Amino acid sequence: MAFLDRSARSLLLTELLSGLRLTFSYMFRPKVTLNYPFEKGPLSPRFRGEHVLRRYPNGEERCIACKLCEAICPALAITIEAEPREDGSRRTTRYDIDMTKCIYCGLCQEACPVDAVVEGPNFEFATETREELYYNKEKLLANGDRWEPEIAANLAADAPYR
Amino acid sequence: MDNFWDGFLLPAGIIVAQILLIVVPLLVAVAYLTYAERKVIAAMQMRLGPNVVGPFGLLQPIADGLKLLMKETIIPSGANRIVFLAAPMLTFILSLVAWAVIPFDYGMVLADINVGILYLFAISSLGVYGVVMAGWASNSKYPFLGALRSAAQMVSYEVSIGFVMITVLLLVGSLNLSDIVLAQQGGFWQWHWLPLLPMFVIFFISALAETNRAPFDLPEAEAELVAGYFSEYSSMSFGLFFLGEYANMILMSASTVILFLGGWLPPVDIAPFTWIPGPIWFCLKIALVLFGFLWVRATFPRYRYDQLMRLGWKVFLPFSLFWVVLTAGVLLAFDLVP
Amino acid sequence: MPKLTIDGIEVEVDPGLTVLQACETIGVEIPRFCYHERLSVAGNCRMCLVEMEKAPKPIASCAMPAADGMVIRTNTPLVQKARKGVMEFLLINHPLDCPICDQGGECDLQDQAMAYGFDRGRFHENKRAVQEKYFGPLIKTIMTRCIHCTRCVRFATEVGGVEELGATGRGEHLEIGTYVEKALNSELSGNMIDLCPVGALTSKPYAFVARSWELQKTESIDVLDAVGSNIRVDSRGREVLRVLPRLHEQVNEEWISDKARFAYDGLKRQRLDRPYLRRDGKLRPASWTEAFAAIAERIRGVSGDRIAAIAGDLMDVEAMFALKELMGALGSPHLDCRQDGAKIDPARRAGYLFNTTIAGVEQADACLLIGTNPRREAPLINARLRKRYLQGGLKVGVIGPQSDLTYRTETLGAGPETLAEIADGRHPFAEVLKQAKRPMLILGMGALARPDGAAVLALARRVAEACGMVREDWNGFNMLHTAAARVGGLEVGFVPEAGGRDLNGILDGAGKGEIEVVYLLGADEIDTSRLGNAFVIYQGHHGDAGAHRADVILPGAAYTEKSGTYVNTEGRVQQTRLAVFPPGEAREDWTIVRALSDVLGRKLPYDNLPQLRQRLFEFNERFQRLDAVVPANWGAFGANGAVDGAAFRTPIENFYMTDPISRASETMAACTQIYVLGEQGGDEQGMTGTNG
Repeated sequence: MAFLDRSARSLLLTELLSGLRLTFSYMFRPKVTLNYPFEKGPLSPRFRGEHVLRRYPNGEERCIACKLCEAICPALAITIEAEPREDGSRRTTRYDIDMTKCIYCGLCQEACPVDAVVEGPNFEFATETREELYYNKEKLLANGDRWEPEIAANLAADAPYR
Repeated sequence: MDNFWDGFLLPAGIIVAQILLIVVPLLVAVAYLTYAERKVIAAMQMRLGPNVVGPFGLLQPIADGLKLLMKETIIPSGANRIVFLAAPMLTFILSLVAWAVIPFDYGMVLADINVGILYLFAISSLGVYGVVMAGWASNSKYPFLGALRSAAQMVSYEVSIGFVMITVLLLVGSLNLSDIVLAQQGGFWQWHWLPLLPMFVIFFISALAETNRAPFDLPEAEAELVAGYFSEYSSMSFGLFFLGEYANMILMSASTVILFLGGWLPPVDIAPFTWIPGPIWFCLKIALVLFGFLWVRATFPRYRYDQLMRLGWKVFLPFSLFWVVLTAGVLLAFDLVP
Repeated sequence: MPKLTIDGIEVEVDPGLTVLQACETIGVEIPRFCYHERLSVAGNCRMCLVEMEKAPKPIASCAMPAADGMVIRTNTPLVQKARKGVMEFLLINHPLDCPICDQGGECDLQDQAMAYGFDRGRFHENKRAVQEKYFGPLIKTIMTRCIHCTRCVRFATEVGGVEELGATGRGEHLEIGTYVEKALNSELSGNMIDLCPVGALTSKPYAFVARSWELQKTESIDVLDAVGSNIRVDSRGREVLRVLPRLHEQVNEEWISDKARFAYDGLKRQRLDRPYLRRDGKLRPASWTEAFAAIAERIRGVSGDRIAAIAGDLMDVEAMFALKELMGALGSPHLDCRQDGAKIDPARRAGYLFNTTIAGVEQADACLLIGTNPRREAPLINARLRKRYLQGGLKVGVIGPQSDLTYRTETLGAGPETLAEIADGRHPFAEVLKQAKRPMLILGMGALARPDGAAVLALARRVAEACGMVREDWNGFNMLHTAAARVGGLEVGFVPEAGGRDLNGILDGAGKGEIEVVYLLGADEIDTSRLGNAFVIYQGHHGDAGAHRADVILPGAAYTEKSGTYVNTEGRVQQTRLAVFPPGEAREDWTIVRALSDVLGRKLPYDNLPQLRQRLFEFNERFQRLDAVVPANWGAFGANGAVDGAAFRTPIENFYMTDPISRASETMAACTQIYVLGEQGGDEQGMTGTNG
């Protein structure tokens, strides 16, 4: 009986047909992919995208050149040089992030004691040359000015869990 | 002069025009078959598929073709240049010349020869030369292994395809493709797929294997052989292989339609269906079979090579041989021989 | 010998040790802030609390003498709780500014807070803020961070010998300061930066420059004075970012002078980074090949006795040795390494060493300073003298100009006559020296760098012999050099050979045209105007006096950029190590001499440093004995003769600028302005460090 049953299944291709039926039914299900440049998925407030250097509301840059981000960076992507500014405060003269080295682990923003370096929500910063991905302080501060509302909202949203 | 004009140039011009009439739509069809393939498989995998180039991504095949054209043709230093370049041309030309005998409607055929089915069979078996030449001329191990596999596989499945054709010929009693279609007149239940259902299935599966399609795409199994026999090809020489393969798919679908699905005949011989011209029916049926090709590709995983050979030699060959005997026996016993 | 039990281990310690020291003998580390083994015990930070049996409460182990039968426990819950409590109190007023604090990463408070700190504060009132104090151009103060350990006050008072620092106010209002807003006038002030367990005192030139973890640390030797302090050169990339002391009990303990510590910024300025050639009266950049070719061109046909070489104060032994061999090959006997013209007798080793050794100073009980101001010439030897003075019973007599030494001195006279009086026993101080068990004298360059120097030297020897300074177990005759290269040069024989001219002879000869070619090996302290029309080859690392006069400049390496041997004033052989590479096309000095010798057709027989050193060891095996002081045999040296009556002068007028490196240093220039020229700075007044 079992032999008959097995032979019948095999000859009638029931397994193949059920497989075909399954894939056919999938044709009419809603698509799971997004039409990316036009539709975008939701981002977590913890999303780690392009780096920014933030400022205080009065325009003073937050970074105090403590170099903790440089020290913790596992990819050695951050380079900082510092010296006293005219008013005697501790500030960077150079703050470079090599975005081609960065692995977006987020340890720099975890290390930052003043929330100055933050990985913002922007992930669309592809460039045509490598040189454009060597970010300097100016570029990072400009990023900070551009993304400040989103970053502030994200930090506020994530604050209760920290 | 008149004699030259009427007797030679005009017929030649007409033939060239007819060839173009077949080849140009065929190449467009090939282009959009690739598009359809990506769209259908995307749908079955709940993806979107190409949708950026042009409306609904309709210009995608043209963009792909342009991309291939712009690329550099690389000929490996160790390759045999002549054979290396001849292989894709051979494949491409063979996939086109077979179309000479395909009837699109009654009388709408480039060469209505009496041995049409044999011609078709012969041309499609020549396709293996392109593959073998490409694999050998590349002078590289993956293409060589791919070509060996491909040759063995095509040869194996041609045997059962041959027996399947014989069963059809037994029913029709003619080697002319138009006659084979006409023998199926009277509605879709009269088409050969119903009486010869097992043969239809075997033919379809063998067509998959003959065209190196999934789940029998072992010659170009990327997990083992990079891209099989055309690993070393780039640019338009690769493009010709690509076009040839897809044209072959369409050709095999056309053969399936002619042998089993009633060619240009409408499914039901009554008013609204008979209004639609035969070529449209023919193309629709081809599209249906092609959809089957894509559907299968989206559904089944790739065969192991020994399973493929076992299926060809130990299942299909005895089974189709048995069916030839059975069909012939039934026809003789009930005196139905045409 | 008190016997006590620490954590169940019975231990017998020397009498007079504290409980904390007793714990250290068995490897039990007690946390501390105010206690420091080289300073007096203050006992005010309370971090070192341990539990003692039969005591009602924990005791401060740093202030409790170890006594017989004590039972000490250092790791009980009570001790932990006490330390946590102390730490919480310390952190109440300590700002949370580690990220901007230069001490961050090497801070005692930070480290101990990791062990004993609480992860949040329970103090909700306002923290205190203290105004910045002005400590001069070297020390930056952020007094809000101060935890009142008073290490700096004790250092300034005890080691530095300048009682300018103290605490005012009580309790929360206690502040450390200089009473009046005035730069702290000490040559050792930089050591307070190391001593400060928090970031209250940090280095001003190093402010915000780097973090401790970024730096590459190279152990090396200081060459800016003749003490040979052991230092650690901290560098990043190709830049020396700071210099720190390294412990060496026999030499510098754990201090270094401010010049050694802060002159490093001179290494980046005024550097010679490529060869130069004088063409049409102007120095123009050239390639090595061109420079060598020019030298070969000029030297060809010049007989050896018309060529001379003078070695400078910062040169390593290897370069001097190589140049000496090259000069020998050229047939020149005119060599000198005494570029101040000091009449040192190279023949007798005991006559030019600091025979007592620096550590030996601590055993002396009478000291005669002749033409020297150790505070400016060797602050660390001065600190030793003060250390000895604080132990009581040290009598110090000075012959020479009035100076502000950090211990009580008796001015005996100004010039050689006084020395002669002591030698003849006519002076009362001679009695003091004779009575003393271990008398010593320190002969400075101020007494020797004069025409009658040889006679003064002989006179000093007579004093030493007459006052019983030279015995089997004690040699009280000391020469205090001012140049790191001097003893090395003498030991390697970089002095006039038979028939050769000394410094004055060379300069006079050059002036008269008898010397045609002068090779200055880093010699910048000579009077270059006396070189006349001689062809001057200058090899060195700074564009200083010698380079200005030069016809060819060969760029060499500074002491942080090469592995070189130096011999300090005691005769102790030590080696520097390469911390950063020389700038531009500059090369290590001996390689330049070696390359030049090839061009001149008198190739020296070594291709690498080990080969050179091997030859050096064959010449003088003492160079092999690193960090060892080989006692020298006593004998006659100096030349008896008449002395003139001129007073001894001070060899170093400005402590902060003695050599090309410190002359190029901006920090040293600022120090000169404030400490030597007497201008007052202090523009950061009124800040508290809480202003971001």
